[in-house]
Amino acid sequence: MRVPVGVKVGAFSLLVMGGYAYFANSIPQIESKPPQELSLEGGSVTPAQLVRAGEEIFKTKGTCEICHRIGQKGTRAPDLAGIGGRAGKARAGTSATQYLVESLLQPGALLVEGYPNIMPAVDKPPIALNRSELWALTAFLQSLGGTVDVVLADIPATAGAAGPGGAAAAAVKVPGDPAAGAAVFAGKGTCIACHKAGKLGASPVGPDLSQIARIQTPEYIMKKILDPAALGTVAGYPKGVMPPTLGQSLTAREYTDLVAFLLTLK
Amino acid sequence: MKARTSSSSLATRGSFHCAWLVFCAAALALAATLPAEAQEAARDPAYRAFPLIGSRLAVWAVAQLHLNFAAFILGVPIFALIIEIIGWRTGEPRYDWLSHEFVKLTFAAFSTTALLGAALLFLFVGYYPRFWTYMTSIFFPTYWVYALLFFAETFTVYLWYYGWDWLAGPRKWIHVGLGVLSNLFGTAILFVANSWVTFMISPGGVDESGALKGSVWGAINNFTWMPINIHRLIANIVFGGTIAAAYAAFRFLAAKTDEERARYDWMGYIGNFVALAAFIVLPFAGYWLGREIYAFNQTMGITMMGGFMSWLWIIQAILIGILFLGSNYYLWLGMERIPGSERYRKYVPPMLIVLTLGFMVWATPRSLVLTLDEARAMGGTHHPLLGVLGVMSAKNTVVNLMILTTFLSFVLYRRANRVSTRGWVGTGMAVQWAAFGVAAAIVVFYGVYGYFVESIVRIGFSVYQVLAVLAAIVLVMAIDIPMFRGARSTGRIRWGTIAPRSQYVLILLAVTFTWLMGLMGFARSGIRQHWHVYGILRDTSPEAVTPALGYAANVITVVTIVFFALVMFIFWLGGLGEKGRTATHGHAPAPMLAGGSDADA
Repeated sequence: MRVPVGVKVGAFSLLVMGGYAYFANSIPQIESKPPQELSLEGGSVTPAQLVRAGEEIFKTKGTCEICHRIGQKGTRAPDLAGIGGRAGKARAGTSATQYLVESLLQPGALLVEGYPNIMPAVDKPPIALNRSELWALTAFLQSLGGTVDVVLADIPATAGAAGPGGAAAAAVKVPGDPAAGAAVFAGKGTCIACHKAGKLGASPVGPDLSQIARIQTPEYIMKKILDPAALGTVAGYPKGVMPPTLGQSLTAREYTDLVAFLLTLK
Repeated sequence: MKARTSSSSLATRGSFHCAWLVFCAAALALAATLPAEAQEAARDPAYRAFPLIGSRLAVWAVAQLHLNFAAFILGVPIFALIIEIIGWRTGEPRYDWLSHEFVKLTFAAFSTTALLGAALLFLFVGYYPRFWTYMTSIFFPTYWVYALLFFAETFTVYLWYYGWDWLAGPRKWIHVGLGVLSNLFGTAILFVANSWVTFMISPGGVDESGALKGSVWGAINNFTWMPINIHRLIANIVFGGTIAAAYAAFRFLAAKTDEERARYDWMGYIGNFVALAAFIVLPFAGYWLGREIYAFNQTMGITMMGGFMSWLWIIQAILIGILFLGSNYYLWLGMERIPGSERYRKYVPPMLIVLTLGFMVWATPRSLVLTLDEARAMGGTHHPLLGVLGVMSAKNTVVNLMILTTFLSFVLYRRANRVSTRGWVGTGMAVQWAAFGVAAAIVVFYGVYGYFVESIVRIGFSVYQVLAVLAAIVLVMAIDIPMFRGARSTGRIRWGTIAPRSQYVLILLAVTFTWLMGLMGFARSGIRQHWHVYGILRDTSPEAVTPALGYAANVITVVTIVFFALVMFIFWLGGLGEKGRTATHGHAPAPMLAGGSDADA
């Protein structure tokens, strides 16, 4: 039987592409996940915890390891072994903490001789470390041959302001109870009168919230509950129906529980 | 002419009308995204969820398909015009036929490109409203430029295609002028769209909050805009050439007569020649793009080459190695249908060795993300022996040597059935070989020297290597053309007698290059990681994770399959009109080439 040319060519093409896809699936599979936000402000944290957190940032969100090595000379950036000890002597009149913080925030100003001026300010996007993360990272660097004595106040208050990309939005952690929030949704909040949320409710008056956490940011959800008119009305739904008084009628606990519940809807 | 405008003409005209409708719909959608309305609309969700597959996958698939078609319809007219000019100036009608044949292919794909472009726009507006609002706030003035260019492109391409017979003969220069205009408008469209894409990678002209600082030109002329313009322009020609060659290969394999086989053998050769000619300069454009990415942001550059994407470049190296080997193999197979080529067969084994070794070096990794156990087993992050071959010094060296080798293949193919009758042939040959030798020596010298200098100095060496290779190519051709003008023929090229496996090589090249385009698209988007606009607008959706290569490869494969299925369907539709058509046309008829041409193209 004569095989049609189209079949032969098609089979050949599929074989070629299948081979490429097979190879790509055979190698190590590495995803690049968005970095998580670390917040230590207002909490008590030991130096050891701080150093551990800083090491994690060094290896992940800070992307420091791309250029810096510890105990190994690199061509792009200085070896950081012993930096905690050296930092205090690097510039007269500057403490180790000040030197390290300045190196992170204005790396070009403290360039080590022999290395190119390629380091970005780590509190700016795309790295965009926040104050807590800068604090932890500085502590980790101090631990490399020095004494960990950095405190949050050593990090300028202006450092780490999030860019317009809403760097903090994705990782906001709401300290509420989703189960209690479901009760608020169906009870005191009266949300169920207009919205559907997964298995709860069926009303078509307002938008279906069954996937609200998938399509909206926590910031939006929180704001929408407190001031619904400010964020407009979803196209196709009646305006002015959502009560603007939830900020007054719900307690702070009920509010955070409700947000926590909505954030589970993906 | 009337007969020709019957079925095929109606089919293509219908598709063009469809393109118009699609464009108008897209323009309406565009109008709906006027800044004020867009801002109003974007108060609602930042994202919406596309059913079943998710928004990101939907955008990915449609964008890749759209880019594939767009690359084809922008790339093919460039070389179709060059072929038409060759036919016009030499008076050889077969070139006119071929040019018309190529344009016919793009014409059939025009409406699909517009349809996919509109679908992509709808997806952005509907599923990524916050992102689209931000882009509109920066690039709104360019939307109108884009729309006007689209009108201009449509009108000129329309005239170019349908005026083929009307503007024949003494009015041919007008027709060629239309072709030039079509290409200029097409290239301008590409440049405008590239400004949006490159802004997402390397935003410029905006302050830290993402607001435009001055005019929109600052955002357009960002770090990667011009390198991507050039890279895509060249890549589009390669892509168009490979697809056209694959089309010819399919027609060759399905041919029922020797004449038909000869015609499509020749067409496949020209398509591959175009692809190869553009392909050998593509790596240079790629290096420029890479350098600009580093110049924009070192972290981004290093993440791209040595971070989580490091394995991607190994796959890329394998694909490019296959393209080099395949192109050369096709030329070597083609020499078998040229009497007199036996003289040059002895060069094939050494060329194969150079290409294979180059392939292996290029595919050698330097920095890979390793587990601790893997690193311990290897004694460090780099392999103690092979790690030396993984750096750019080695890779730049081998890619330049592979380009030189491929060029040598072409030179040998070109002179396969010709013997120069010039008195200075000995000197000419010696200078040519010397040019090859000196270029190779310069490439190797800077490759080795690169190990002993700082990286910033080493990067500059690649320029000398590239210039050495380009100079050799120019010098060799400057000698070769006069040396073989009026040469004695050792026999005519037996078009149509090439081994059928050569046609599978052409299909392999088309499939590989299309897949490679998908992979490079993933790299271009992936280096932004969790940013829509790098450092400016963060991706806060649940799909902000940049997927692993396996997942990406699966998506690329499926989309490539869909692309080829659509292409085959469109070509089949376009070919329907040919059936049963016997009338003569104003443009040149299909040439008779079987065993009867000494054409060397």
